[in-house]
Amino acid sequence: MIQVRGLTKSYGKQKVLGHIDLQLQKGEVTAILGPSGSGKTTLLRCLNFLEKPNAGEIAIGDVTVNCKGAGKRDIHKLRQKTAMVFQNYHLFKHKTALENVMEGLVVVQKLLKADARARSQLMLDKVGLADKQDAYPSQLSGGQQQRVGIARALALNPEVVLFDEPTSALDPERVGEVLEVIRSIAREGITMIIVTHEMAFARDVSNHVVFMDDGAIVEEGPPQELFGSPKEERTRQFLKRMTQEWSYTI
Amino acid sequence: MGRRFDITFVYDFIPKLLGFLQITLFIVACSMLLGMVIGTAVALPRLFRIPVLQRVSRIYVSFFRGTPILIQLFLIYFGLPELLKGIHLDVTRVPALAFVILTYGLNSGAFISEAIRAAVSAVDRGQVEAAYAVGMSGFHAFRRIVLPQAAAVSLPAFSNLVIGNLKDTSLSFTLGVMEMTGKSQTLGLATQHFIEVYLSLSLIYLAISLALERLFALAERRMRLHEPDVGVLRNQ
Repeated sequence: MIQVRGLTKSYGKQKVLGHIDLQLQKGEVTAILGPSGSGKTTLLRCLNFLEKPNAGEIAIGDVTVNCKGAGKRDIHKLRQKTAMVFQNYHLFKHKTALENVMEGLVVVQKLLKADARARSQLMLDKVGLADKQDAYPSQLSGGQQQRVGIARALALNPEVVLFDEPTSALDPERVGEVLEVIRSIAREGITMIIVTHEMAFARDVSNHVVFMDDGAIVEEGPPQELFGSPKEERTRQFLKRMTQEWSYTI
Repeated sequence: MGRRFDITFVYDFIPKLLGFLQITLFIVACSMLLGMVIGTAVALPRLFRIPVLQRVSRIYVSFFRGTPILIQLFLIYFGLPELLKGIHLDVTRVPALAFVILTYGLNSGAFISEAIRAAVSAVDRGQVEAAYAVGMSGFHAFRRIVLPQAAAVSLPAFSNLVIGNLKDTSLSFTLGVMEMTGKSQTLGLATQHFIEVYLSLSLIYLAISLALERLFALAERRMRLHEPDVGVLRNQ
């Protein structure tokens, strides 16, 4: 249901993604892991054309876009199938939590204001922020802002929600509340792609794990396989280092 | 110069000068409107990095920021008709007021374009990406996300420009335009009470400047409701 074929992206001469092929099923939660600079965020951002791929094909639901000649209309169609949760939340700062969630519904999906409001309140309730609907982003903690970001993405009812390192900018204390929200929506069978550094979370919440390095997919598979018995040496190295990181003894 | 200072003339002059306030305000309003249109047009090539045009914009801004407004008035009032003669356009019947508005419009356009540029850059790129990710077009993202925040950011700068423009319009009497300062010249000559005239005149300018300042401060507070930390420095 999400199919990526031969996706390549380079900045000038520097190749960031080389010929990526990826296929994901509906209702599946995919975690993309990999060291910094491996191209995982770029891959995610190519899926909704925040980065323009140089070549390849992206198919989400019934929309198929050839990246090379993609025009405004194609990009718009693709973006209507996706929603994104950003590392730094990127809430609209001049709008309240509720207005942030409503914005896309009113402007893009052309819902009636009352309907958009009702749906947005439902979404804020889902992320546990019903009582904060009139707060501006500057009045919310990082964790709360990110939950509004998640509500904003979910409200659009997209085919897939793209999470770009959703907890990397948070205080360690706040990571838990955001992961909990993502976990609960994963249970609802919403298709998600999560770029993350939270290994335990990825293992726990995903049905499919993709390990990337140096602009290419090194290995992919179900979490128990990839974490339990990785086939590639590079994957083993990475996982070893990442798990070591959490086991310092002082 | 003139006769002995007599404060009672001030009471007499103020209402007489106020009769010409509308012309002053008319110049301010028209030239600021014109300036906003020009300012936007001049800012866009630099915001979007359009090759040749952004250089033209830069030269334009440098010229109008780097030369005295009095010289600009003379250049446009005396120079432009000569230039237009070249293409057989006769503008000798166009009133001086039009040249004044044009000059102040061109001048404030240069400053406004810089204010717009700074304000738009102040809105972080991430919010635009979020707008795109939600499915908004470039136009909607600009209109609904960037513009309201940029407008709030630029308000203090804009307030300064309007007040500066108000005071600058006093120079238009040099082209014979009968606004408040122009009227003060004739009043002064007729009564020989120059100090009283200038005192009255400055009181009026001051009052309007203060009123504008308050108005913009109020507007700013309304537009920046979402930033509770505005004014933090003031409260400390």
